[in-house]
Amino acid sequence: MAAIEARQLRKTYKTTRGVFRREKVEQLALRGVDLGIEPGELFGLLGPNGAGKTTMTKIFTTLLLPTSGTATVLGLDVVRDQWRLRRRIGFVFGGERGLYWRLSGLDNLRYFADLYRIPPEVTRKRIPELLERLGLAGRERDRVELYSRGMKQRLHLARGLLNDPEVLFLDEPTIGLDPVGARELRVIVRELADAGKTIFLTTHYMFEADAICDRIAVIKGGEIVAEGTPSSIKKVVQDQGVVEFEVVGMPADRLAGLRALTGVKSVAVADHELAQVVTIHCSRPADVMTQLGLVLDGMSLQKVSSREPTLEDAYVQLIGESS
Amino acid sequence: MSLARAAWRAFVITIRMRVISQWSYLTWLVFPLLFTAVGLYVLDSRGASSSHLVYGVLGGGLIGYWSVAYIDAGNGIQDERWNGTLEQIFATPTPLWVILLGKVCAGLFFGLLSFLPTAAFAYFGFHAVLPALDPWRFVISLAVLTLTFFCIAITLAPLFALWRWVFAMINGFELGVYILCGFMFPIAVLAPWAQGIAALLAPTWAVKALYASTVAEGPHDFALWWIAAVGLSLAYLVGAYFLYALVEREARVSGELALA
Repeated sequence: MAAIEARQLRKTYKTTRGVFRREKVEQLALRGVDLGIEPGELFGLLGPNGAGKTTMTKIFTTLLLPTSGTATVLGLDVVRDQWRLRRRIGFVFGGERGLYWRLSGLDNLRYFADLYRIPPEVTRKRIPELLERLGLAGRERDRVELYSRGMKQRLHLARGLLNDPEVLFLDEPTIGLDPVGARELRVIVRELADAGKTIFLTTHYMFEADAICDRIAVIKGGEIVAEGTPSSIKKVVQDQGVVEFEVVGMPADRLAGLRALTGVKSVAVADHELAQVVTIHCSRPADVMTQLGLVLDGMSLQKVSSREPTLEDAYVQLIGESS
Repeated sequence: MSLARAAWRAFVITIRMRVISQWSYLTWLVFPLLFTAVGLYVLDSRGASSSHLVYGVLGGGLIGYWSVAYIDAGNGIQDERWNGTLEQIFATPTPLWVILLGKVCAGLFFGLLSFLPTAAFAYFGFHAVLPALDPWRFVISLAVLTLTFFCIAITLAPLFALWRWVFAMINGFELGVYILCGFMFPIAVLAPWAQGIAALLAPTWAVKALYASTVAEGPHDFALWWIAAVGLSLAYLVGAYFLYALVEREARVSGELALA
């Protein structure tokens, strides 16, 4: 039996548009998602903002009802069996909100332990264990408003682990954390997966998914556009290379010239301080590099390089292809 | 047992938040004192009888009690939404009504405190007293009043969770109840249609009994007033039963628990 399963899962939000003449609008967040995650798996869901990641997480954690289709977690239907299911799952949403800032970390944990209906004798043992494991021991009586961003996120995780969940949902848990804090959290998440917990992780960070996930899916516009192990996803761009360079100013006609070169799959431009970083995905990087001088004649190119594609390159291509 | 513990913890957490919050001292301490001062000044300067002065003595406390009990339910939910904790508590295995039970009871506890400073202020500031206090009937009426406030707050609280626009009406309903239920003056001075609406509000009957228990002049029909207050309160609770089922479902359909 799959730990998490979705069949033809759809979610539509109903909202209104306009001020005086209000018009009812339906927004399709999920368009028939099929997904299966095995017990003990660390599964990553990648996608741009508004792709449906949080909606899917909220359906699995019983916070939202699907419009149609089915979703089960640990064999329990998220619509009908929410009370039994909530005892067996945990969830952590990214960001600083979701805690009582004016209370201590300990008060926060005690409150949620009682809301999760954990027996007091278990709570007395588990809270110190979690504080120790997540590096919050000694600071538990401080108000949460005095915690660093990383500490708040670890407190979130401690809250999510209070009921020793069999399945843990993490919605962008490292968002806004400094590199050290994010790395610490990733290590903890990997350890939890190694200890046998099923983990459903949504993230924007490709290297994060590449580093810790057993399997990933890419979602775009409410649809899964790719699914597999990180290495199998990278195969989307295995016959490609990436050429990158920096330039100050990139006129539209030169950009069009780059896109027209033989073997070029996509060209992306990103601002970097006063310059622009141009990333070209192509099938023959060496050929493209020799043609750069022709297309960008008279422009000063800096840091020209060629490299192997990463998961992020595969992601960019998948998201681009499906649009 | 675990549900009782969850409700108790919600009660304790709400009390702690109130003690920390400076805003809460305005609602249970400063505002009731202001209402008492203004009420007693107006009544005292016109040479009101002692049966009318009780409105000054108790009115400020009643307003404070109602404000804290009712506003706590609404503000509490709105604060949870802003903190991002509304979804967190909703997704626990504890039903929302159990959590709100603890939070509303905490509001009632703080609201009751409003009577202490206002009564002391009335006594020491204006030498105003309750002329013919019947302690037992006063205590029973206060208990019945507490039940009415509890039932209104617990009934309305889930609406604040489900629909953000309900919060916009919070002050209007707060003020309406002050006036319609006769907190600061007898409802006999209201228009007949307003008295008709007041009769449907459970606190009207409890407040009537509360004031009657402090003055000798009659006629007094405590049993009828208490039964009316309790009966209406129980009717609200029946409505609340269906409302919670609706909120549990609709919140999951609309995703309204989140801020964005």
